[in-house]
Amino acid sequence: MTTPLLEIKNLHASVEGNEILKGVSLTVNEGEVHSIMGPNGSGKSTLACVLAGHEAYEVTEGEMYFMGQDLTELDADQRACAGVFLAFQYPVEIPGVSTKFFLKAAVNAMRKYRGEDELDAMDFLDLVEEKAESVSLNTDLLDRGVNEGFSGGEKKRAEIFQMAMLDPKLCVLDETDSGLDIDALKIVSDGVNKLRDAGRGFVVITHYQRLLDHIVPDFVHVLMDGKIIKSGGKELALELEAGGYVAFENCGTECCCG
Amino acid sequence: MTTMTFNNTCFEKLHKSEAWMYTNVSALAKTEFAFATTFVDESIIREYDIAPANPLIVLINGKLHEEASRLCDGVTVNANHALQGSVASRGDSEIPSVECDTITIENAGKQTIHILQFVSGECPTAASGRVLIHASDHEEVSVAETHVCLGEETHLFMPLTEIVAGKEAKVTLVRAIRGSKTAYQLGQLHVCQEDSSNVQTHTITLAGKCSRHEVFAYLDGEHIESNFDGMYMLGDNQHVDNHLRVEHNKPRCNSREFYKGILDGNAKSVFTGRIYVEEGAVETDAMQTNQNIVLSDDANAISRPQLEIYNDDVACTHGATTGEIDEEAKLYLRSRGIPADSAETLLMYAFLNESLEDLADDEFRRALTGELLSTMPGGDFIRTL
Ligand SMILES: Nc1ncnc2c1ncn2[C@@H]1O[C@H](COP(=O)(O)OP(=O)(O)OP(=O)(O)O)[C@@H](O)[C@H]1O
Ligand SMILES: [Mg+2]
Repeated sequence: MTTPLLEIKNLHASVEGNEILKGVSLTVNEGEVHSIMGPNGSGKSTLACVLAGHEAYEVTEGEMYFMGQDLTELDADQRACAGVFLAFQYPVEIPGVSTKFFLKAAVNAMRKYRGEDELDAMDFLDLVEEKAESVSLNTDLLDRGVNEGFSGGEKKRAEIFQMAMLDPKLCVLDETDSGLDIDALKIVSDGVNKLRDAGRGFVVITHYQRLLDHIVPDFVHVLMDGKIIKSGGKELALELEAGGYVAFENCGTECCCG
Repeated sequence: MTTMTFNNTCFEKLHKSEAWMYTNVSALAKTEFAFATTFVDESIIREYDIAPANPLIVLINGKLHEEASRLCDGVTVNANHALQGSVASRGDSEIPSVECDTITIENAGKQTIHILQFVSGECPTAASGRVLIHASDHEEVSVAETHVCLGEETHLFMPLTEIVAGKEAKVTLVRAIRGSKTAYQLGQLHVCQEDSSNVQTHTITLAGKCSRHEVFAYLDGEHIESNFDGMYMLGDNQHVDNHLRVEHNKPRCNSREFYKGILDGNAKSVFTGRIYVEEGAVETDAMQTNQNIVLSDDANAISRPQLEIYNDDVACTHGATTGEIDEEAKLYLRSRGIPADSAETLLMYAFLNESLEDLADDEFRRALTGELLSTMPGGDFIRTL
């Protein structure tokens, strides 16, 4: 049996003393796309932040492994270097340094972590051109402050661009579709689909079935009140779309409704 | 060698006035200062000569060093200029001065004229500097000044700068305080603007034990644009006091004060930005911002935005923030693989660079970025990018 890309077992996490995740279990194998859906405040972003190593969130119980390695032993930057990428729901703005400048730091930090030589300026810019094109991102944006004054859609596109630049093994996308117009949704999805391959896994957090028309998931999970209460194939998303979360409200982990 | 003390004449009583409340320079009253002319090593001059293709004025202890300078049209020394001192006399600065050469720069055009002012001496040395920047109607002047106190003595530098901008004139003045961390700098900048003129100043403090930069601006015409920017990065036992008063005397002028800095150790910064709006100065748009990042519990940032407004038709905003490095931004960088300490350095650099980015003069910006990075913890990492 091969080691899963991500294995989460009975994960409990709290922030400022409030338990938000109340026993999440999830296994993502290489090549798989998992979608997580769930009502506002159910803990989706919390799960994403816990995976990324946000220090405000405390893991109180349970385990999480990335390619067999205990994630709790790695700091946020080490997790990124190991191959975990989070496309943030709300990317921060950092005026004063450009995306290009900051990504050069990121790319080189990762190469250093892997014992590789730094990328020279020319190769770096070639890579930027190539990856920006893959998500139809105007490269002028990359000379502005990081996310500074970007529109909602531009921020999301920039996140996927960063993901393409950093070539992670596990991609966690937190509502990358919200704020995108129909064309942009297609462009971003195409960008993601180009990155789909046998070695990479995806966790796609979304509220909308329509994203999953573009990025077709292998599994769909429903997260409610800090727990995954139902898992299924891509048809589960359609069920949710039709019936809303109300239909699942009284489900236990052994959910049988729908 | 002549020496003297300023005795109780000024420095001791200063601290007792409201305007100097947070800046105590009474130690200067007891210091015995020399007023010697001296030489500065050629190699040191070259080190700070950041734009060898541009005109350069080198002043040492307030006296022109002609051999090291590259004078050009529009620059005169000790000319009996009619305007000399007329603007300064409107301000209420209490900073004294000692005898020095007066440099007048008039209508010199687009090219940046660099001025290098050194204070040097074997014992504490006091010097003034006097630079008058004059742009007549529709003319332009751009000046980049670097002030350097050399050595470990408690030197005292008291530069006085005047800007006079005629109708539709444009003046840019960038100033950097570099060099020793033991010197005092007490500077005054007086700005007088006429209709539709544009004045941009930027004051950057990267050195000094105690620096006070006064700016007195008189917007005497309509449709004036004025930007007074400042940036500082200070560590242990360093103090900066940016003290501004911008007077809107006529309608429809825009002014902006934008100061930001990083304080480490027990460094202290004081920002006082007073906007005065005259009764008839309607449609005034004035903004004051002071942002500080404090890296240690002992560092202290005092912001005093002040408004004195005598009509209703104005838009005046002020904002002051003081905080630590933003944790969310730090996590964002770390989530992209950048280690914690490098992420902090990058965020400090970003914070200050936002202020430097706008500097029109490339050489100046490059030199200051270099200086910034050599002072900043972990700055070498930024250089590799
Ligand atoms: N720093 C915090 N302090 C206190 N409560 C927090 C904090 N961060 C998150 N929470 C709470 O945790 C719960 C889960 O938040 P989370 O952002 O994970 O929800 P979500 O499923 O991503 O919601 P949405 O669909 O609106 O993005 C919410 O009730 C939220 O208020
Ligand atoms: Mg969320």
